Amino acid sequence: MEKDRGAADVEIPVGLVHPALLEPYRPRFFLEDEVVKDCEITLDSPHRGIERIMEGIPVDKCNIITERICGICSCVHLWNSVRVVEEGLKIEVPERAQYMRVIINELERLTSHLIFFGHALEIIGHETLAMRAFIAREPFMIMLGELSGNRVHYACPVIGGIRPRCNPTDDLVQKCLKQLAPAAEYLKDYADRILQDSMIMSRVDGIGVLTKEEAIKYQAVGPTARASSVEKDYRTTIDDFKYFDWDVVVLDDGDVKARVVQRILECFEILKIVEQGFKNLPQGEVRNRDWKLGEMPVTTCYHEAPRGELYDSYGLDEKGKVRHYKNRTPTLTNLGAMEVACLGEHLTDAVLTLASCDPCICCTNR
Amino acid sequence: MFKEISRSNAVHVMLVYTGGCNGCDIEVVNCVLSPYYDIEQYKVMLTWNPREADLLLVTGPVLKRIQPALKKIYEAIPDPKLVAAVGSCAINGNVYHNLGGDLGSSDEIAGPLDKVLPVAAKIPGCPPRPEDIISTAAVAIPILAEMEV
Repeated sequence: MEKDRGAADVEIPVGLVHPALLEPYRPRFFLEDEVVKDCEITLDSPHRGIERIMEGIPVDKCNIITERICGICSCVHLWNSVRVVEEGLKIEVPERAQYMRVIINELERLTSHLIFFGHALEIIGHETLAMRAFIAREPFMIMLGELSGNRVHYACPVIGGIRPRCNPTDDLVQKCLKQLAPAAEYLKDYADRILQDSMIMSRVDGIGVLTKEEAIKYQAVGPTARASSVEKDYRTTIDDFKYFDWDVVVLDDGDVKARVVQRILECFEILKIVEQGFKNLPQGEVRNRDWKLGEMPVTTCYHEAPRGELYDSYGLDEKGKVRHYKNRTPTLTNLGAMEVACLGEHLTDAVLTLASCDPCICCTNR
Repeated sequence: MFKEISRSNAVHVMLVYTGGCNGCDIEVVNCVLSPYYDIEQYKVMLTWNPREADLLLVTGPVLKRIQPALKKIYEAIPDPKLVAAVGSCAINGNVYHNLGGDLGSSDEIAGPLDKVLPVAAKIPGCPPRPEDIISTAAVAIPILAEMEV
């Protein structure tokens, strides 16, 4: 039974595989003339049943799979999954390991935001600046590759610390600090260029407004919520971030411009954290081996992924196998909020509005 | 004849995501599209239209839901054509196909890719390094150029 859609008389389905989307999902726009009156998003095609294959798997193997939930924010998935065991069994983590986890995670957040700029500017049609986002991203990818041995799946946190390969030598730390300065300079130049480009600003200003009430009602999370003046960042509640001095960026406008500017400002907060991390990196052990796997009740952990709130919960049975695994990722609620935000816009702006919450479909469907 | 001449000038690749974690896609788009590795200088262009494509790059373990769409895309590509499997997921299903607890490995997967389409080139890695993707292009493109229509 089709829903009554009022005055809308044309339906534009987009997808499943479509150039503007990059990932398979299926928004349906219902238009009156060229104005979007209703929007409906179907998300189900890349479902690969991760929560089901986790059931009864040893916890070390479970961490390999959690990392493969997403290829953009892989570190935070793994870290949160490891934190569940650490919190449930009260395992201490050495300070150097905490620093390295934060550094790898924040560099990954930076590359994730830079993919967002590339994608959003591609939709606006500014190809040059989209390509420059990839140039700006590459030094950080190379740095992550050197720090961890892989450009995408870093496999940095393990239970009780970090993988020994991710423990950098002093030379590597100095080298990374040296590489960080020109990369940050390029990023600053690039951000100035976006903010001063009147063509881009005219395309994003006042488009797709999500008010604070709507953001709270539809449970928007992460940068999408922070651009609509909801101050919510799980990094402030996490123990490992207490060594760093940084601010939560909150903006009031709630339009596409605010979401872009929020991420740009957040990039510089990330650079601040990474620089502090490399400068103050303490010496010492990177892994605590003084623990034993055993029965653990279902434990829940929240973390701030690049797109918002990430939830993991599971318990362990007496042999250390995973039971009742659950994982919730931020894009689901963000896209729900965008369904509302794109109403009343033209069709071209509606696609941009959907992309402005930085949807990641492979996390959402798992 | 005409196609041989045009193909000796430029090759078009199309990328299809069939599940998996997105890491390979971004590495491929990063490698083909971005100015840093810049495969376009060798006249390898990225296209999103299967009717223009010569080489199909497939990432991910080929989910049952996407299999019909993938077959349609493959049929829409004009002959001669080659398929390359990018990343461990497309080659052997990676963690989704090979790891599993009480209930076994994932039921949603129809792949790996060679069960679905004939695969000419395989690029290993999780995800493959950009250098590996470029070297595969260097191997596959001469084969493609000599294939008869």
